[in-house]
Amino acid sequence: MKSIDLDTIKAAWKKESAFENKNLSKAEIENFLSGKSKDISLLFRKGLSFDIVLKSILGVCFLGIIILFKNNLPVILISLAILMGILWTIRYQWLMIGKIPEASIGDRTIRSTLENKVSFYRQRYTKSLYVGALSNSLLVLAGMIYYFYFKYGEIRPFLWDDYLVSSIAILLSFAIGAMTQIKQSSFQIKQLEGCLQEIDEDAISTLTLRDQRNKKRRMLLIFLLALICGLFVLTFLIFR
Amino acid sequence: MAHERTHRHFLELIHTHQSIIHKICFVYGKNVADQEDLQQEIILQLWKSFTSFQENAAFSTWMYRVALNTAINQTRRPGLLLDTSSSPEIPYDPSDSYQLSEEIQILYRAISGLRKVEKAIILLWLEEKSYEEIAEAIGISVKNVSVRLVRIRTKLAEIISKLQ
Repeated sequence: MKSIDLDTIKAAWKKESAFENKNLSKAEIENFLSGKSKDISLLFRKGLSFDIVLKSILGVCFLGIIILFKNNLPVILISLAILMGILWTIRYQWLMIGKIPEASIGDRTIRSTLENKVSFYRQRYTKSLYVGALSNSLLVLAGMIYYFYFKYGEIRPFLWDDYLVSSIAILLSFAIGAMTQIKQSSFQIKQLEGCLQEIDEDAISTLTLRDQRNKKRRMLLIFLLALICGLFVLTFLIFR
Repeated sequence: MAHERTHRHFLELIHTHQSIIHKICFVYGKNVADQEDLQQEIILQLWKSFTSFQENAAFSTWMYRVALNTAINQTRRPGLLLDTSSSPEIPYDPSDSYQLSEEIQILYRAISGLRKVEKAIILLWLEEKSYEEIAEAIGISVKNVSVRLVRIRTKLAEIISKLQ
């Protein structure tokens, strides 16, 4: 009974003329070609490009710090080291853009396209999100140095609690940036993983294991942040 | 000059085989806007992948593969608070954009209940592609195709019988 129903439907599908009648002109097709893709690859590419621009601006900021503190050797050395780091991360992000897989390649099967994308985004792209989150920490650091310069004309010697507060600010900005970006991209990557699971249902256990490992890592990060904040509050309460 | 010739050839081929795009957009699009976005994405990806098309192969088979690959790789973007599951979807009537027979409207509603890869398999089956061709497009074995098709057809038949 069921197969008879489907055969009728299949016959109706074959006869259906609505799809043939819906006619796009060559000009309309050409118009589509000049449009922009909304594929996940483009979104991630945009994110990486934005980070490169942000890091370049931060590089200029740290060059400014070297000029402003030209008589302060430790600040110059630290800024130089940060500048080198920025250059390295810009190169890293640049190379990553070139490695982002395209949405579909004509000679690939659906499974291999999905496998290619999922493994790239899970293994390599996530690392670049951590590299991207470093921009937040550098932004906080540069902001603090400029604040000190314009308010006091120098970087005053730090007490232990100054180190604690600034370290927490830098760490938190990194953690919040990384977690937000990872969560955002995970939302989309999980949809691709869902399709891959659907194709290869035997592989579910592997993906579940990886999910659990990621969950463990996330929990550990949250626990460490909570521990740092807790210690800070405790120290504050004891010594105030 | 060669690029222009390729471009013209591409436009000609897409124009001739465009019903494939409409069918895939019909099956995967959840509303008119979705279908239009997917249409654009498919045409863009077909153009990007055009160099991989070998003239001795059937264009429609290559086109199905790229278009289905694109449709399956489309992802929803996260909402502001990342939870998009609760956002209400506007009910879509496919007859808004297509003049469809009653059977096909029922089929649309039934296919909406399938998962993305199931949709691809059933679409290729409706298009009378061989098990080998389906297996080659999806990347699974021929045996797997036959097992899955039985499962999907049963699922589809159940949904249709509820709808009828």
